[in-house]
Amino acid sequence: MNGYAGKILRVNLTHRKITTLSTRKYEPWVGGHGMGSAIFFDLVKDKTIDGFDPANVITIMTSPLAGTLTPAGAARTEMQGIGVQSVPIGWFTRSNFGGRFSSMLKYAGWDGIVLEGRADEPVWLDIRNREVKIRNCSKLTLWGTDTWECQKRIWEYVAGEKVYGDWLEPAGADGGQTTQRPAVLATGPAGENLSRVACLIHDAGSGAGQGGFGAVWGSKRLKAVSVIGTGSIRVNNPKALMQARLWQKQNYAFKMDNLKRRFMSVDFQSPPIPGTMYRRGKPKTGKRPQACVGCHSGCRGRYEDGLGNESTCFTTIFYLFADSLDVQRQASDLLNRYGLNAAEMLWGELYLADLQRSGIIGTGMEIDCPLNFENYGQPAFAEQLVKMIAYRNDGLGNSHPFGDDLAEGFVRAAQKWGRLDGEYGDLKTGRLRFPYWGLPQHKEPRSQLDWAYGTILGDRDINEHGFDQLRSNPSYNKRWGIPLYGSAEEVVRIYTDKMVPFQADRLMLDFSAGNMYSEHIAKLVTWHRYYTRFWKQSAQFCDWRWPDFLNLYGPGKVGSTGVAEPKFLNAVTGKNFTFLDGIELGRKIWNLDHAIWTLQGRHRDMVHFADFLYTQPSTSLNGTPEYMPGRENGKWQYIETLGRHFEKDKFEEFKTRFYELQGWETDSGYPMESTLKSLGLDSVAHELGQNGKLGKG
Amino acid sequence: MNDTHHKKTTGSDNGVSRRYFLRVAGTVTLGIGVGGYAGVKEALPKIVKLADGRSGLPVSGGYLLVDVKKCQGCMSCMLACSLVNEGVENPSLSRIQVIQNSFEKWPADLTIEQCRQCVDPKCVNVCPEDALKVDGKFGNVRRVVDIDKCIGCGACVEACTYTPSRPILVSDEKYDGDLKARKCELCADAPYHWDPKGGGPKGKQACVEVCPVGAIQFTAEVPQQEEDTGYKVNLRDSNWSAMGYPRR
Repeated sequence: MNGYAGKILRVNLTHRKITTLSTRKYEPWVGGHGMGSAIFFDLVKDKTIDGFDPANVITIMTSPLAGTLTPAGAARTEMQGIGVQSVPIGWFTRSNFGGRFSSMLKYAGWDGIVLEGRADEPVWLDIRNREVKIRNCSKLTLWGTDTWECQKRIWEYVAGEKVYGDWLEPAGADGGQTTQRPAVLATGPAGENLSRVACLIHDAGSGAGQGGFGAVWGSKRLKAVSVIGTGSIRVNNPKALMQARLWQKQNYAFKMDNLKRRFMSVDFQSPPIPGTMYRRGKPKTGKRPQACVGCHSGCRGRYEDGLGNESTCFTTIFYLFADSLDVQRQASDLLNRYGLNAAEMLWGELYLADLQRSGIIGTGMEIDCPLNFENYGQPAFAEQLVKMIAYRNDGLGNSHPFGDDLAEGFVRAAQKWGRLDGEYGDLKTGRLRFPYWGLPQHKEPRSQLDWAYGTILGDRDINEHGFDQLRSNPSYNKRWGIPLYGSAEEVVRIYTDKMVPFQADRLMLDFSAGNMYSEHIAKLVTWHRYYTRFWKQSAQFCDWRWPDFLNLYGPGKVGSTGVAEPKFLNAVTGKNFTFLDGIELGRKIWNLDHAIWTLQGRHRDMVHFADFLYTQPSTSLNGTPEYMPGRENGKWQYIETLGRHFEKDKFEEFKTRFYELQGWETDSGYPMESTLKSLGLDSVAHELGQNGKLGKG
Repeated sequence: MNDTHHKKTTGSDNGVSRRYFLRVAGTVTLGIGVGGYAGVKEALPKIVKLADGRSGLPVSGGYLLVDVKKCQGCMSCMLACSLVNEGVENPSLSRIQVIQNSFEKWPADLTIEQCRQCVDPKCVNVCPEDALKVDGKFGNVRRVVDIDKCIGCGACVEACTYTPSRPILVSDEKYDGDLKARKCELCADAPYHWDPKGGGPKGKQACVEVCPVGAIQFTAEVPQQEEDTGYKVNLRDSNWSAMGYPRR
C-alpha cells in the first residue's frame, strides 16, 4: 500500500491490551478524518456517551501524504472523538496539529492510533517502530509535569545511554537507526485536572487545541504518546513526487529574491515570516523560521532567547495587552507548558479584564476572584491565570472555586455566575465573545459567512482559512496600503473557477448583506465543508497553506489548487484520484459526521448562534473596518462587512436551503435514508433508523 | 608533476591551491592499489603522483555547504534525499541529517550534518572490498561504486570521524535484506533522480534543489577541512534580512 504503513494501532487502556486494525479496511476513506470518523462509528456503539466516559474512542490519524515530500501536506495529525469543550453537548469533534508526530508515526509503521478505555493509573505510550509498551508514569514521574518537561524526560529515557546528535537504535540493534528525537504528544497539568479547555502539545508549540482533548486524555489517565520510527514509507512514483515538489516550488512558492509580500499570509505563496515578527514589533533577538515536516514555508520561529519557540496562531496573541512582546511570548509558553486552548484563553482573559474594569470581579466583589489585577500586563498575571485554570485553584497554590469555575470553560463559568441570565446577559450583549456552541470567536462571524455557517452547522470553530484572504487582503489594503491581490471581480473569478462542482457560481463569494442567506452562500459553505473534510482533514493538506486559490507567482495569479492536491496524492499512492473525487468523498465524510452529531442529539432547533449575533452589529476588536468582495448596485467591489448582524428568521431560511442542498430533512435536520444510501452509508442509515433519527425521504 | 596533471586532478576551477593539496595529500594513506582500477580504468580517477614521490587521491568535484542558522527545520532535504536515492520516504536513509531540539535557543536548536566528501576520505581508505571509491565518472565524488562488492562490514561507518557517521548501513531489499553501505554521492547516478541530466557534481542535488530557504548550497571549491567552518557557512544574504532574520 503505497503511502500507507498498513496498520492502525489500537490501545485499550483499561485492559492494557494492544491490538491492530488493518488500514486496508478503511482505505476507501483515504486517511485522516475520514478514517477517524469511520473507525469511531464502528467502535462506539452508543454515540450519546460523555467525552469523559471511558468508552469514548479517540482516533489519532495520519494520511498517506504524512512524512512525504508534499509541501505543507506531510505533517498534520487529525484527532477525533467526543469532546468536552462545547455547549450544550460535547460534540464528536476534531482537532489537528502539525510538527513531526504524524510523519514519525508513519516511519514507525502505523497509520494511526485508536485509544479506548481508562488506565488504572497514569500511563504513557512508548512506541518504537512496531514495538509498543504501555508504561506507568511513576518511573519517570511524568504525571504532574508540564508538557515540555514531560517530553524531555521521555526523550532522555528513549535515548538510554546514547546522546542525541548521534545515531540511535531506539528499537534495538535490529530495529534501524535514527538521529531524531521521539515525537511526543502530551497533556499538561490542565488536562490532568480535567479542564475542559485543556489541549495536547507536541514539541514546543504544536497543539491540538480544540475539543478539550487534553482533558479527555487526562480522564483516560494517559499522559503522553511517544513515537520514534526508523522505517520507510513506500511511494508509488518517486520521480513524479520530486518533480511535483519542484514544480510547486518553482511556480507557486515564495521567492526570496522576488518577495511579493513581506508579511506572512495564510496561503501557499506566503514567505516564512511568523506572525510574532510583526504583530507588536519583531522580537529583538536572533531567530529562524521553523516549519513542520516537509513544509515549504514555516509559520513559526525559534528564538535566541528561547521565548515563544514554535508558538503560532492564537497562542501568539493571547494576553493581548501584555506590557511587551517579550511578556506576551512568555505567556505563549505558559499556555503550551500547562496545556491550555489559546483561543479560549485569549477571549476569556479579555472578558475577565472587562469584568474587573466594571467592578464585577475581584476580591470581595460580586464574583470573588483571586486574580491580582495589579499585575496586569506583567508575566505574573498570566502565570496566575494559567495556573488557576490548570490546577483549578487561585493560581497560587491555594484552593479557590474561581479556578475551578474557569476550568469548565468561560461560558460554563459565566453561566454559573449568573452572567448569562436576563436581558443583558453576556451572550446577549456580546460581552462574552463566544458565538457558537459555547466556543470562542475566531473570525468575525457576521462578516466571514463561510466561517460562521461552517461552524454552527458543524461542531467547533472551523479554523479553516481557505477564504480568509478575501477579508484580510482588502482590509489590510485599506488599513496599511498593502497592495490588493486584484479587483474584487478578478479575485472572485479566480476563486470560484476552482470550486467544482459549483464553479460557475460567482455569487458564492458575494458577502454583501443582501446575499447573506442565499443558496449561493449555501453552496459556498457546502463546498468548504466538502473540501476541508477531505483535502485538508483527511488527505491533510495544511490549513494555513491550502487551498492555493490565488497566487501572485502563478500564471495570471491563478494558484495550483485543483491540480496540485491530486498530483501529490496520486504520486504517493498510485491512485487515480481527481480533485472532484476528493470533494465527493468530503461530502460523504461530512454526512457521516452529521449522522454522528444527530445520534448524539442534534436537531435543527439547536442550531443557533449565541444571541448577540442576532442583535448586536459586528465590530472588530480594534475598531477598524473589514472589507470583503460583494456586489453593490450590481457591481463587484470590496464592501464593508462590519456593522451588521444576523436575522433569526432569515437564518432559519438559510438552514432550510442548506439542508435541502445536503439532502437532509428540513424539519429536523436529520439525514435522509436516500441521501445516506446514495453515499454508500447504508449502515449509518440503519443505525439512525434504529434510533428514530432518520429523516424522511 | 606537471601543471596539466595538477589541473586535471584538483580542478583549476575549484580554487584548491597546490600548496593546500600537497599538505593534505601528504596525510593520505591509500587503501586501494593502482591495480584495483583494472577493468574500470576510464571510470575511475588516476592516483596523483606528486613531485616528491608521494601519492594522493583527487579531491571531489563538489561539496555541500549548509547554513545551520538559516535552516527552517522542515527536513525537506532529508525527504528528498531518501526519495531520490532510495525511492522511499525515510529520514533514517537520508545522507543529510537535520537534528533539532525545539526547546533549545537559536541557533543551538538545530544542526545539519552532511557528508563532507573529505579530501582525505577515511571511508574510502578503509573499504576492504574496493566497493567505496573515488568515482572519476562523477567528478571524483566518494561513492559506493560497486554495491555488489559491499559486504556490509561497516568499516566505512566506523572510519568516519564525524558524528553522526555519514556513511550508513542499510538493509537492502535488492540483496535479500543484506546490509549495504550508503553515503552521500551528491545524487550521482541516483536511481530515482528526477532530472534527465542526473546528479553528481555536474548535475543537481536533491537537497539543494528542494530546500525552500536556500540553506544548502553546492560548491565546486574544496572547503576548509579542519573543524566545521568550511562546511557550515553563512548563506544569509540581504534577501534573508529583508524577511526580518539576522545575517550575523
